[in-house]
Amino acid sequence: MTNVLAAAIIAVALVAAAHALVTTVRDRAMGLPHLIVLGVLEVLLVAQVVVGFVKIAGDEGPESPATFIGYMLGALLVPLAGAGWGVLERSRYGPGVIVVACLAVAVMVVRMRQIWDGTGV
Amino acid sequence: MSERERPGAVGPGARADDGARAGTEDRTGTAGARPTATGTGPGRLLVAVYAIFALAAGARAGVQIGTRFSDAPLAYTLSAVAAVVYVLATVALARGGAASFRVAVAACSVELAGVLVVGTLSLIDSAAFPDATVWSGFGRGYGFVPLVLPVVGLLWLRRTARTGGGPHTGGGRPVGGG
Repeated sequence: MTNVLAAAIIAVALVAAAHALVTTVRDRAMGLPHLIVLGVLEVLLVAQVVVGFVKIAGDEGPESPATFIGYMLGALLVPLAGAGWGVLERSRYGPGVIVVACLAVAVMVVRMRQIWDGTGV
Repeated sequence: MSERERPGAVGPGARADDGARAGTEDRTGTAGARPTATGTGPGRLLVAVYAIFALAAGARAGVQIGTRFSDAPLAYTLSAVAAVVYVLATVALARGGAASFRVAVAACSVELAGVLVVGTLSLIDSAAFPDATVWSGFGRGYGFVPLVLPVVGLLWLRRTARTGGGPHTGGGRPVGGG
């Protein structure tokens, strides 16, 4: 796990959440831009999985990496599930789902950093 | 005979013979022609949050039980129970309908009881909970969302039961009642 990648993921997740929140407040359904931002987020999360496994294989990271790997792989599901579930809703609550999903990803990455550094279990 | 044919004309698809009975059934339950939609509108947000907690609790239980079950069997078993409850609530809320409605009410109730009991026990007898579960400290590790979520869930279920039932169910006109 790298600081740069984690920071990028958190930034994109928060921007996506803010964007979707604006859409929700304006009472619009979600559109293509939301899906594109979620796609960018997903690509970054996949990159994180690759980097994460390479580093763990190189004896970096936490002593027992099970929890970290759990978070890392679990986070992959969130943007996909959020997109699928949000697209079904043709109201303001579609982008609302994206807000929830993106905030969850941001929190998960913060937790992953803590686990990686061994601060706060 | 003319009395029996009337309900058939009111609702398309309603069998004339069932007209009188259907009128009473609609009152007793939400199992009308229109299923209770617990997973649409604001409910979609609720399902999203539940899904995240199902994932969080499930992953946590999986890691705990898979790597160090003997350290704290009670806490880790409770993690697994919590995960199952969250999965049930997520699926039931997302699907909607009468059967799912009952499952969702049960799951939310168990969840509320669980977070209250485990939350209290984890503060009183911390020795029994050397490692955290989702419900420890009333969900403190998760921003107390586990405490709020079942309450919101039950309130939402009550609201959908009200609006999703009554006026929309077909054949509501009293037939042969008087």
